[in-house]
Formats: sequence, C-alpha cells, structure tokens
Amino acid sequence: MAEQEFAYFLGCIMNNRYPGIEKSTRLLFDALDVGLKDMEGASCCPAPGVFGSFDRTTWAAIAARNLTIAEEQGNDIMTECNGCFGSLFESNHMLHEDAEMKEKINKVLAEAGREFKGEIQVRHFAEILYNDVGMDKLAELVTNPLENLKVAVHYGCHFLKPSSEIGIDNPMKPTILDELVEVTGAQSIPYKDKMMCCGAGGGLRSRDLDVTADFTKEKLTNMREAGVDAIVNVCPFCHLQFDVGQVEVNEKFGTDFEIPVFHLAQLYGMAMGLPKEELTVDAHQICTDSALDKCYLDEITGGE
Amino acid sequence: MSFLKRLKNVFSGEDEPEKKEEAVKSEKDKPSVEKKETKVQEKVEEVPAAEKPEKVEDKPAEEKTKEPVAAEKAETKKEEKPEKAEVEEPVKSKEEPKKERSESMTLLQKDEAIVTRADIDENFKQEIMDAGGESLGICFQCGTCTAACPSGRRTPYRIRQLVRRSLIGLKEDVIPDDTLWMCTTCYECQERCPRGIKIVDIVKIVRNYAAQAGYMGKAHKMVGSFVIKTGHGVPINPQTQELRKSVGLDELPPTTHSFPEALEEVQTIVKATGFDNLIGYNWETGAID
Repeated sequence: MAEQEFAYFLGCIMNNRYPGIEKSTRLLFDALDVGLKDMEGASCCPAPGVFGSFDRTTWAAIAARNLTIAEEQGNDIMTECNGCFGSLFESNHMLHEDAEMKEKINKVLAEAGREFKGEIQVRHFAEILYNDVGMDKLAELVTNPLENLKVAVHYGCHFLKPSSEIGIDNPMKPTILDELVEVTGAQSIPYKDKMMCCGAGGGLRSRDLDVTADFTKEKLTNMREAGVDAIVNVCPFCHLQFDVGQVEVNEKFGTDFEIPVFHLAQLYGMAMGLPKEELTVDAHQICTDSALDKCYLDEITGGE
Repeated sequence: MSFLKRLKNVFSGEDEPEKKEEAVKSEKDKPSVEKKETKVQEKVEEVPAAEKPEKVEDKPAEEKTKEPVAAEKAETKKEEKPEKAEVEEPVKSKEEPKKERSESMTLLQKDEAIVTRADIDENFKQEIMDAGGESLGICFQCGTCTAACPSGRRTPYRIRQLVRRSLIGLKEDVIPDDTLWMCTTCYECQERCPRGIKIVDIVKIVRNYAAQAGYMGKAHKMVGSFVIKTGHGVPINPQTQELRKSVGLDELPPTTHSFPEALEEVQTIVKATGFDNLIGYNWETGAID
C-alpha cells in the first residue's frame, strides 16, 4: 500500500467536462505510489462565485460537508482546481478561526447528520507535487522529455491568493509552477501580465461573458506575443476558460487564436509518454495537435 | 491682448512669463475630476428625477456595464487623456461666462451635491464588519486597489469607490449597482492593500446583501439550481460520460452523481440555510420561479 494517501476531491468541471485531467492524475499518482482515495458522495465545492456571493453560510455549509467526508477518511484533501481549492481551503480556514461560525455551520450540518471537526488540511495538487513528492521523483518519471515545447504558465488566482492565508509561494513573482513545468523538459516562457486572472472567476463568466472574454483576449494576446506553443494551468475552470473561452474570443473579436491548453496533470501524462487518447486532449475545443507534434515522436520516422 | 492672440500664445508657449504662469496654474487647477463632474452636471439636467450626483454617477455606470468594451473606451476618453483635457479646458473656460463655470463645480453647489443622513444606512458598515469584513473600518482610500484591478481596466467597476460607499453606509447606492458583480475575486487588490484589508471578503459580503435584496443574475441562480438538483454546479452530460468510459473511468464520477443519499444531504443543507428560497427554487418543477 502507498505510504501516503489523500482524499481526492474531484469537483465539477474536471470530472464532468475534462475527464482526461482526472485520468492522467490517477495514472500519475499510481506511478508515484501516492494513494488517492475517492470522496464518495462529495458535491460541488460549492462554486465560490455564486455560493460565496449569494450566501456565505450556504457556501461554508456545503464546503464543510465535503470536508467532513475527508475527515471520516482521516486524509488531507487534494484538489487540482483553484476554485475548489479556494472554497475548501477558505471555509476550512474560516471554521478553524471563527468559533461562532463553526457552531452555526455545525447546526446546519447536524440536520444532514454530519459534524465539522477541523481535523484535516486542504491541499492543492501542484503544491503536493512540489513539496511532498519533490522534483527528483518527478524527474524520474519523465520518459518523454518535452524539450521542444514552449509553455505559457498560467497560475490562476486561488492557487496562491490570498497569500497571507495560503502561503504557498510569492503571489507576485512565484516560481513553483514554472519549476513544475520545466521538470518535464518544457520551457516556461515569460510573458506580460503573467499573473493576471483568466477572467472567468467570481461568477463573471456566467453573468457577463463579454467582460470575461475581454480578460481572456488580453491574456491570449500576451501569450501569443511571447511565442508560446501551449498554455499550462492548474485549474479546470481556467482550463475551460482558455479552451472554450478561446473559441468565444475568436468569435467575438474576429481573432484567430489557436493556443493548445493543458492542465499540469495532462502535461505530466505527455512527459510520461502516455497515449494522447488517455489524456482526452483530442476532445478539447482548441486543437492540441500543434503542441503534441512537438512532444510525441513520429511513430513512422522515429521523430528524425 | 485679444482673446485669439492670447489663445495662440497659450498653444505656442510664447506667452509672457507672468501670463504663462497663470496658464499653467489654470491647468493645474483643472484636474480631470472637474471635467468629469462637468459631465455629471450635464447628466443631472438630462435626468430630472435624479436628486443626488451619487445616483447620477451610477446610472451611466449601469448603462456602460452592458457594453464593457465600449465603456472602456468611454472611460479612456474621460480620464486617461489629461493632455487633451488640459489644452482644451482653459480655452473652454474663457469662452464660458464665469458664472457657469462655478456652477459646474459640484462641490460649490452645496444644495445639490450633498449626501444627507437620509441616504446613509448607519448599520451597514457595522454589519459588513460583523459578517467578517472587520478590516473595512481602516481603509484610508489610497486607491491602490483600483489601480491593481484588472476588471476596473475594462469596466466601470471601481473597488475603492465600493469600499468608500460601503464605509459611509450608502447601502442603496452600492447594492443595486451592476458593477458589484464585475469582480472576478482575483485578489490583486487585496494582495497590494497597504492596510491589509480583506477586500474580496468585503465584496462578497456586500454581494450577499445584494442577493438578499433580490439583485441576483439569472445565470447565477441557474448554477445554484444545478447544485440543488444534482450536487454539481456543472453536472455531467452524455458526451463526457462517453469520454469517461473511453479512458476507463466510471461513466459517473463517485460524487453526488453516484450517491443519491449524498445528494439528499446537500438538499437538506440548502433547505436549512434557506438558499432554495433565496434563489426562488421550485422543488416541484426544478425551475427558478
């Protein structure tokens, strides 16, 4: 049995839209010999933009219910979505700090037969890879170095911020994700306003798509100017925004962006030489072939 | 000196030293704020029902919200071309009688520009602070937040203004304003705030009040209804089920999608907090009333 085990929180967008991210994560953690235990019956984190904005009590109660599933397992939670990380980490943090709120939430949870105890931590996939697994072990897995791939790393917002509570890396000039990308052999290319939001969060995407698309267009423009082959993210919502949103930007602004989008888990799948189909990168809205051609050897010529 | 000659000298910079100083001074005395207020005044005339400039300022903001890109252009014109404004202003002021110019300064019009006690909800600030936005009270309005805001660069959303109005207690001003929903919660403001104010928490708390008052986007209510119905804000669809199967995952993830009793727990929670009533969820039809 694996030495270390995490409660694997799926969320919504990854498992219900981009299952290749889930699949490659499961294969990656098998290869690393780190256990992922399903959180049976977990729900939406819930969506911070809508639930956090409409009613913080409902937001914290649904999040706390998810936390109790991991508490029953006795495992820390791992999520690979910044939005889920934000909801779960923040509510866990708040219920730790605010005894009054904890009491209020536990009254609600009692009706569903649950109690929040505050026994586990909420952790992000990328941070676990960096701190618990470590670069050396990750480097050992790379059998198909992605040396020809130039990547625009997109951190997203809720992976590192609010930094006073999360404290994973410097929120203005982080390196954690660039290092995690470069261990595959790919190159992280600097680009203008790299730390800017993709535009989808806070409920903006569902409420005002035009504004969201305007954010995304700015990011895509800056990425293209830097001459990247692909975008790598650590959040299925940012992932969706760059994939589906890129099509929307092209429709709205008459642009012709075609930058392939990968979640970090998919990038590791590529570096491990997993078949493309397993990563469901062929089901993305934006065709990923241009980037995959730089990563996978041509089977007939051997890549020469 | 004739007006035209003076004007020519202003542009060519060939004025006598004294006059030049005067011109520079008049430029300095005319920051872009005044130009903005001039526009506000104009709007007052157009909108007779409006009583306070505060309200008037909000009105165009709401209109702009619908066309964010156009709004961005309008904003740029208004605020970000100080050079043009400075050249034009002295000319304009000399063309207009002095009386009108002073009328355009809303600060001088004590009767019209005043926010009275009647506009202020005395409890609003304290309510926000009690709900988790304790740090609201220490804002000194430096504006670093607005400068850092990517949404403010393309919409009329001004986070500094939102904080100020909340602090004053202009609840009815803040809550119906569409720009309140332009924040992506990216935390750029909060990370830079020299007072360490939890700005994003404040935005969310103010949004909670807006939601209680019925200001909720239809699309947001729909997301809420999906969670009540399925446990997921983004539920599974047939294409993804196929895709999951093709890579050897269970067609349905091991979430509320696979465990009906878990979904019941989520539904119990939303009933207990009243979230179902808040968004007008109809348990029989599964629609939003």
